[in-house]
Parts: sequence; structure tokens; C-alpha cells
Amino acid sequence: MDGLCCGPGYASPSKAIQAPREKLLYTIAIYTGTGIQKPDYLATIDLDPDSKNYSKVIHRLEMPGIGDELHHMGWNACSSCHSDEKMSRKYLLVPGVRSNNIYVVDTATNPLSPSIYKIIDGSEIKSKTNLSGPHTVHCLGSEIIISFLGDARGEAPGGYLHLNKDFEIQGRWENSMGDIPFSYDFWYQPRHNVMISSEWAAPNTFMPGFDLEEVGHLKYGRRLHVWDFEKKKPIETMYLGEDGLIPLEVKFLHDPNSSHGFCGAALSTNVIHFWKSKEGKWEWEKIIDVDNEPHPDWPIPIPGVMSAILVSMDDKYLYINNWLHGDMRQYNISDPHKPVLTGQIWMGGLLDKAPVVNGVKIAGGPQMYQLSLDGKRMYVTTSLFSTWDNQFYPDIRTQGGVMLMIDCDVENGGMKINEEFVVDFGKEPNGPSRCHESRYPGGDCTSDIWL
Amino acid sequence: MNKIIIANRGNSFFKVKGSKPLLHELRELGLDLPYGCQYGGCITCAAKLIEGKVDQRAQVALNNRQINDGYVILCVARAKTDCTFEIGVESHDKLYRNPFIDPLASHELKANIATRKDIKE
Repeated sequence: MDGLCCGPGYASPSKAIQAPREKLLYTIAIYTGTGIQKPDYLATIDLDPDSKNYSKVIHRLEMPGIGDELHHMGWNACSSCHSDEKMSRKYLLVPGVRSNNIYVVDTATNPLSPSIYKIIDGSEIKSKTNLSGPHTVHCLGSEIIISFLGDARGEAPGGYLHLNKDFEIQGRWENSMGDIPFSYDFWYQPRHNVMISSEWAAPNTFMPGFDLEEVGHLKYGRRLHVWDFEKKKPIETMYLGEDGLIPLEVKFLHDPNSSHGFCGAALSTNVIHFWKSKEGKWEWEKIIDVDNEPHPDWPIPIPGVMSAILVSMDDKYLYINNWLHGDMRQYNISDPHKPVLTGQIWMGGLLDKAPVVNGVKIAGGPQMYQLSLDGKRMYVTTSLFSTWDNQFYPDIRTQGGVMLMIDCDVENGGMKINEEFVVDFGKEPNGPSRCHESRYPGGDCTSDIWL
Repeated sequence: MNKIIIANRGNSFFKVKGSKPLLHELRELGLDLPYGCQYGGCITCAAKLIEGKVDQRAQVALNNRQINDGYVILCVARAKTDCTFEIGVESHDKLYRNPFIDPLASHELKANIATRKDIKE
């Protein structure tokens, strides 16, 4: 992809930043839990500003049946197999959290109209690996691992599914889950032989919706786990306590030599920074604490609910969202111990600061986002998870989700909503759907890891 | 055989044998119902029981308030008597609540952590 080598991805983060501008975006859109009896689908969105279809959904790949709840996804290959000329970034693995199915989507044969290449049946995954509730997909060189949040009965802690490059089930990836109580996201940094995993909850806990009281009953996570990546087993726990309630997304810096990484604790609405000290010890600290905000209808102030974080490819900026407040923020993390707020935008949210953006009334708040490799364009969607949407933003049933683009100033910092771009999923042909995670064909800021 | 009436579909009715969960029997009889996990762990298929009795001991998704409000997880529930349901999202008026504005009492939590059982038959 970079013209120098043969395999997928890029030789380095700095090479990735120089990649051509993204022209297409794949985004999942759901009908599960919306009342519309149609399958979830993978939407292809035209990002070419010179195209007559710019900012429109140009293709919809429907899944074979209803009820998957497509959520996150990942590539079959990334820069971790850049030196392998036999590999290519061709297939997008799209799991259904509720159905347990994994759809392998061919995006290379015709990038404008991706097609289903293979279906890994959810019941086969359960019978062979005792796993359910798939979430994060990462490639490991030419192999693939996917975190699952539960066992076949939906009980924690779940584990990791190992697929080979032909998408055949190899069994469980991990040799041990140790005493990990919950699973969710993970990221690895091979040069430090480390993987960090986070904790949401058991599928049987989070899938039906959010009962706040279950946090106090320890049904939700509050720890990060340090893994010996080669031995495939957890070796240390970072107990975050009240500072780290529901720690979700984990991101290392893209620099493969760095041990610095971050996690967004959704309910505490904090960013946790972790790193390996000179003595070789894993340390953590809270570096961002978003205050809860008062609301006239709420008996207690509203937490931000930081459901995602993202690091720009140049490792200069950390982006966070506050799904319930309705803002997104950009922090300069040149010193990862001391982030500096450099940008902020508002879209939707419960604080009523930006109920309408680019002519579209927004039900929901900034939720998932993907950043261009050059760091200048961020695509943001508004739906979190069908049952949680229904609790906090009931109007999303009739209004659907929205995708906006944020122009990010990579030189001086700053964020601004682009006025030319909006994709209103409320106007989809089968009725209002909800958009969640996105990926670019050429790689993006949440896919690639360097060995 | 039990008679299942769907109140919000013009009182249309179906005869079920009870050999499979209601979701599967009713779908096979032509009723288009939502579903997700198909093992009782998520509430995508929830319907509201207006009248009748079901056995849904296999469900693990509902808290006790939702059960007391009549919600039934169709993918694991079987009818014990003739039943009348409301189905689909129109029946979900009490299924979803903002947990910060409308907290659960301790007996309204899920069965495995509730302080005492307070579930209607």
C-alpha cells in the first residue's frame, strides 16, 4: 500500500499518515432493537468530495437474517503483516454481538459494493470455543483474534477466539484468563510483549440494557489487565476503582516502541493513562476527569459516558466523546501525563447544546468515531447499543442515527463540524437505522499495529 | 395446544403446541417477531403478557420490575395457558427506563442479586 513493500498496511505510522485520502467508509447500521424487522447492514459511504454522491450511502450490504446487532469490526490483515506479500487487507470481519455470527465481508473485489465472503456461524463458535458476545477484532500477523465478553451462556468473563487467515476456528487464543472477571476491548504492543484488556460486563448484564444498580453489585468492570502477549496469559491487574468504572476502549500509542496507552472509563468519564516505568513496572494514572453536568430532569448530575477514545496516527492527539453530554474533545498528548484540551464540538446529547446540526435533529450523542490517517477528518456516529440507546435516547427509534464529519486542525489543535457533510440514517430506505463503528478500506487509526 | 392472541395485531391468534419456545412456534406460524441472542440473555424479543401464564425460567435478561410489568422473553418462554400478548416495540413502553432518573428498588433487580423475590406468577 505504501509502494515500498508488498503486504498490507504501511511500514510505519509516519508512512500511514502519507497515505492517499480516504474515498470510502464502511459503517455498520442496525435495525436490531428498533422495531423495524429488517437485517442489520454494512453501509458504504462516499467520502470523495468530488463525487456527486459525496456524503451519501451508496451501498447497503444486508446480513442474511435479523437480530445480529452488528457493532464493532476489524480487518483480516493490517500493518502487522506488512512484510507478508501473500496477505492483503481484503476482508472485514463483522461480528453480531447478539447472534454470535461473524460475517467475513469481501471489500476488495468491488470496494463500492462489498459482499459476504463467509459466515462463521454463531452456534459453531459456541460449540467449539464456549464463547459468545463478540467485540474487538484484531489481526495478529496473518492470524486473527476476537474478544468475546461471555461464555456460550452469556456469563463472564468470556475469552478470545482464534481464527486462521482462512477464517477457520482454531479454538481459544488465550492459554488462561487468570482471574479476569470481565472482557471487552484489547490492544497489544508486541515490542513490549504486552496486551492490555479492559472490562465491560457479561453479555447477560449489558445486553438487556443498563441497570445502574448492577455497578454497585460488581456486575460491571473497573480493572485493566496486563497480559504476557507471547505466553497468552494475564500477569497483572490494574485495579482502577471508582476512577475507572466501566473501562472500555484501550489504545496504545501507534509508535510501536512506546509503552504508553490510554483507556476511557465510560461511567467515571475519565481517561486512564498507563505505561511501563523505567523499572519495568506497569503504572497508571487518571489524566482526564470530565465533570458530571446538572440537568433539570435528573436527580443527580449526568455523567459524560466516555464510550470511545482514539489516538491520531501521529500520536499527538487523543480524542474522547461524552455520549450523554453531547461533546467530543481533542487533547494534545505530546506529554501523555499532562493532556491539554485543544478542541471541542457539540452534537446532540442531553444537555441541549446542539440539538440540530447541519439541518438534522440529532437523537443520541457522539459515540463512535474514526479518524483519517492524516488526522484531519473525523467521522462520528451517534448510536451506542440498541438497548442502551432505547434507555437514554428513545427518540432515536424514529429519528435514527447520524454521521457527521469533524475537521481537525493537526497543526494548532482544534475541531470544527464540517458543514458540507451529514449522513442522516433516519432517512434510510427501510426506515430509521442506527450507525455505529466505521472503517476505511486503506486502514485507519484504530486498525493498524506494528510488530 | 394453547391459544396465543396478539392484542396489538388485531387480536390475531395462533395455536401453539408448547414443544418449542413461543418465538419459534409463532414465527413458524407466520408471525414476524424480533429476536436477538435466542437463549434468553437479551431483551430484543421481549413481549408484554396481558393475560395468561408462561414458563420463562430460562431467561436471564429481565429484572424483577420488568417481570412484574409483564415482560416475557419469547425466545425461551413457553405458554402454560392460553395467553394474550402485545408484541414488538409498541409493547416496550415500560421495558426501557433511564436508570439515573428512575432507579430500581433492591427487590426489583435481576433475580440473582435482588434482595427478595417479588415476581408475579
